[in-house]
Amino acid sequence: MTTSKLTRFEKARILGARALQLSMGAKPLVKVSDSIDPIDIAALELENKVLPLDVRQKETEN
Amino acid sequence: MEEIIDKKIIEKVEKVAKKKKADFPESYIYDIAEAYVRRELSDRELEKLIIKVRKAYERARVESGEAVGTVAAQSVGEPGTQMTMRTFHYAGVAELNVTLGLPRLIEIVDARKKISTPTMAIYFDDDHKDDEEFVKKLANRIGKSTLNDILKDFYINYAEMKVEAVLDEEKIEDKRLDLKEILANVEKAFKRSDIKESTIVFEPAKQTIRELRLLADKGRDLQISGIKNIGKVIIRREDEWIIHTEGSNLGDILKIDGVDEVRTTTNDIHEIETVLGIEAARNAIINEALRTLEEQGLSVDVRHIMLVADMMTSEGVVRSIGRHGISGEKASVLARAAFEETGKHLLRASIRGEVDKLTGIIENIIIGQPIPLGTGSVGVVMKPNKSKK
Repeated sequence: MTTSKLTRFEKARILGARALQLSMGAKPLVKVSDSIDPIDIAALELENKVLPLDVRQKETEN
Repeated sequence: MEEIIDKKIIEKVEKVAKKKKADFPESYIYDIAEAYVRRELSDRELEKLIIKVRKAYERARVESGEAVGTVAAQSVGEPGTQMTMRTFHYAGVAELNVTLGLPRLIEIVDARKKISTPTMAIYFDDDHKDDEEFVKKLANRIGKSTLNDILKDFYINYAEMKVEAVLDEEKIEDKRLDLKEILANVEKAFKRSDIKESTIVFEPAKQTIRELRLLADKGRDLQISGIKNIGKVIIRREDEWIIHTEGSNLGDILKIDGVDEVRTTTNDIHEIETVLGIEAARNAIINEALRTLEEQGLSVDVRHIMLVADMMTSEGVVRSIGRHGISGEKASVLARAAFEETGKHLLRASIRGEVDKLTGIIENIIIGQPIPLGTGSVGVVMKPNKSKK
């Protein structure tokens, strides 16, 4: 799914997953400037559309 | 709403909306078209309006993954707590006694087969809605009348062992009934009766006083007109003539000539389901629930109630909320066990060897996994070969 706009759940999920990767040593895909907080870096990556993760909607029932 | 708005204008608005990638419902298109005409907008302004409406519309949409059910439950439940406090002090509607407030809301949500106060509002088509004579005549045909309502005199003659009833022709006239029909009815119901003009003499099968008295009661209670299940009727003049009834029989009423089959309704949801179908039942649930809440001065967004109605009707039949309906029919054993009758469900599932796919919320909470809702409903995949900057 490559929608133009992510829902707030998708955004949170992706940021979290990427931040975890970064915190464990993944190389940032953007130039890290002021903040070195993994979440900030992940947000920056998302902003620059280089965040290497995508979303997939799961099926829910009941 | 006036119907003056041109088809051409609507088409035009539709075209502009399509160009601006706005996927509006029909009513939006109509409202915009109306504003376009009323405010004499230029084409550029129309475009701007559509863009703005689209933005507001998209913002108002629910995001996928949102816990709409929980929000709906809270939004109906909270006003419900306020109803309990006020309901039982309610005086009730003028002549007809109709269940209102919390008891009524519970009735709707429980999808009761027998509701405590079924009522109908019967409307008439354009030719008859201002015809007082027609409406009165019909009201008497619909409403239940017994022999007792048209008696002038009635006595039990113990000496000769018979019951004599004298009919009042004035009352019959007033009720617009037909004397011949009444007499035919009486003859059919009582074999041992003797009719002389407007005097009816009944004779009991056995010559005992007990039989005689029972016969007298039976004679008085003989129904001479009316539709099954309908009791008292009240004719009311609002902007037009409307008949309100105690009791309900939608199927038979709709067959009567002159009745407006579009606006005539009943508050019996099951009857609407059998007569008009499941979609009508869904609308009936929405209307009835919304009305009971509004009567109490509570405003709940329709969409919450629509969700409830959708859940209740999505299987093609009206199901109740709770043990005997939606919650009791869930596919997952754990979900059912978490709701009510835990032991029963677990025992049965183990006997049958049921499998739980763990697709729902409750199941995953029970086993301690992230739930498929909100953030949890999103799966993450690695983007393949995304070249670095």
